[in-house]
Amino acid sequence: MSKDFDVVANYKSLLLNSPELSMPVAAIQSLVELIKHSSATTMSEFMLSINVASQLLKSSVRNSISLSAGCDLFLRFVTRNSQDVAEFEAWKATLIVRGQSFVEKADACRYKIAELGVPFIKDGSTILIHAHSRVVSLLLQKAAENHKRFKVFVTESSQTHGGIRSAKVLRAAGIPTTIILDAAVGYVIDKVDMVLVGAEGVVENGGLINQIGSYQMAIVAKAANKPFYAVAESYKFVRLFPLNQYDLPTYNADTLSFQELNVDYDSKTDETGSVSSSAAPSSALSQTALHMKTSEDQASQGSNPLVDYTPPNYITLLFTDLGVLTPSGVSDELIKLYL
Amino acid sequence: MSKGTNDLVDILVAKLKRRQLVGSSAVAQATLKLLIVVISKNNWSKANDLLNLVRSVGQRLIEANPTELAIGNIVRRVLHVIREEFRDAEASSKSDDHSEFQTVPLTTSSSMYNLLSETGSDDKEYTHASHNLRSDIIQEVRDIRIELDTIYENIKNQATNHIHSNEIIMTIGRSRTVEEFLKMASSKRKFHVLVAETAPSYLGQQMALELSKAGIEATVIPDSAVFAVMSRVNKVILGTHAVLANGGLVAISGTHMMAAAAKHHSIPVVVCTGLYKLSPLYPHDEDSFNVVMNPDAVLGFEEGDLMEKVTVTNPYYDYVSPEFVNLFITNQGGHPPSYLYRLIVENYDPNDHTFDPLA
Repeated sequence: MSKDFDVVANYKSLLLNSPELSMPVAAIQSLVELIKHSSATTMSEFMLSINVASQLLKSSVRNSISLSAGCDLFLRFVTRNSQDVAEFEAWKATLIVRGQSFVEKADACRYKIAELGVPFIKDGSTILIHAHSRVVSLLLQKAAENHKRFKVFVTESSQTHGGIRSAKVLRAAGIPTTIILDAAVGYVIDKVDMVLVGAEGVVENGGLINQIGSYQMAIVAKAANKPFYAVAESYKFVRLFPLNQYDLPTYNADTLSFQELNVDYDSKTDETGSVSSSAAPSSALSQTALHMKTSEDQASQGSNPLVDYTPPNYITLLFTDLGVLTPSGVSDELIKLYL
Repeated sequence: MSKGTNDLVDILVAKLKRRQLVGSSAVAQATLKLLIVVISKNNWSKANDLLNLVRSVGQRLIEANPTELAIGNIVRRVLHVIREEFRDAEASSKSDDHSEFQTVPLTTSSSMYNLLSETGSDDKEYTHASHNLRSDIIQEVRDIRIELDTIYENIKNQATNHIHSNEIIMTIGRSRTVEEFLKMASSKRKFHVLVAETAPSYLGQQMALELSKAGIEATVIPDSAVFAVMSRVNKVILGTHAVLANGGLVAISGTHMMAAAAKHHSIPVVVCTGLYKLSPLYPHDEDSFNVVMNPDAVLGFEEGDLMEKVTVTNPYYDYVSPEFVNLFITNQGGHPPSYLYRLIVENYDPNDHTFDPLA
């Protein structure tokens, strides 16, 4: 076991150096690096080191769903091919080659998905997207390149500045984009023709794990009879079957917990939102918003969930590099991997 | 391609263009017959050659009449059969080849696993020549022919499972599949059928006539009465022109209304269809599979002064979205709409969704 190779540090530096790299692909790349540096001489030592590294990676990130998917896929692949190994070193070398070719192919996944999704964007339509997803942005850019005219509403997602990032990318591609409040999804839904979101993970029943707010959008879309499409690369399929929101691995005892009652605020607005100051309502509201951001109420900020789960009956279609799938088709793909 | 087969292709293309050949069943039979001739009478040795040959023929036929989705379905079935035969031949010839990463061929379509394993491009595999492959392929394609011939048999044999005594069934339009289905059931059960007249083609009236000739109590109702009567109906049984990959239907105009009324009253909607009508395409555009007929049937040319003031359209088909359908009764048994993806994966190859020539 090589204790000198820090897989987490390698992973983090990979992400820093290439912002286009997605988390699961970076994770697999780090694991491949680990194999290169591995001093294991027996199969079991080797498998153990990979398992340990994978666990380290998963626990190092707060939102680890897509990362887990990538790690599990790689582990599954290694386990599968560890059956009859004649020459250990040669086998390790082949693993490294395969891992690297995967990283190269993974980038192509996004382009495949964009190709598949473009026909679904109709000329003259309005699309609602959520925060910032690189695949969704690529899809919309491709559609714009194909001379489709459409407009985009994007939710603000102020915690991650997702809305602003998306708007920058899309406006640069010449797509008229408006940032809307997360709370305005219901208000805006009658003006849109379809909803398009990315994914952190796709679970066994075809449900979606994505940035918080996606579930809400899906419910609103269903109520307004608008199609809800999700885009996901196939390496994001995870072997999870959540029965409700709190069944996700990202949920812990602290999530949405009620912290101390006496949180100190500067202004006279308190946690329940009732305004006791004499200031005008708009400035009071903006003050409260500011307080969440500037971590005056760190308790609430830290305990808010980052992702939510959207059940499959709200999802119309999934665009993946394996083709356009209905949610029921996802489990079939997962089974093929784990047979 | 040999001159003889080229002529045959031209003849079929002309028939399709002139709409002399319409209807999924007839079109499917004709396409299959032509493809059998194309495969047997042409010279090919490598898989790529044969695939490109069939694809080019398919492309021409589809361009002749894009709304007849059955053409594309049959071509894709044949292509899938060809690929399977080649893969089997390759697998058996490679069986002594032993590579470190001999992956068990789980499935012919792509999967996540293939991301990590060395598959290379699928089409590179098809470069080996084989001899008895020709007869194997033709045999398999003939099996598809037999399947097409026995569609009504297989579907109507399931009739007694779904229709019970003293039931009231509702249907629309004139579907031969539904007709056979109901006739078979009537030999064992007594039930009543309500047929919507299906204006402006009035095919419903013909359907009712045929059913009553077979001794089934049939009543014709105007299309406007469908919602009103729906609460008394036990089941809605429909035929369809095509089934799309998401489970949606392209069916005769009026079907959407009937399915929506049924959903409102929680009445089961059952669609009887042969698998050759199942297309791997998605409805990007609700109007992409529609065809518009003569508006005279809706608003006659006699209404002279109205003509300039109104726009009259007469779409022949309706798109019915998958949540309105409860069950598909196919020649391979009954399946819910959520299962269609499986049937598509089993019968078609993802590389064949478009017929651009292979590298």
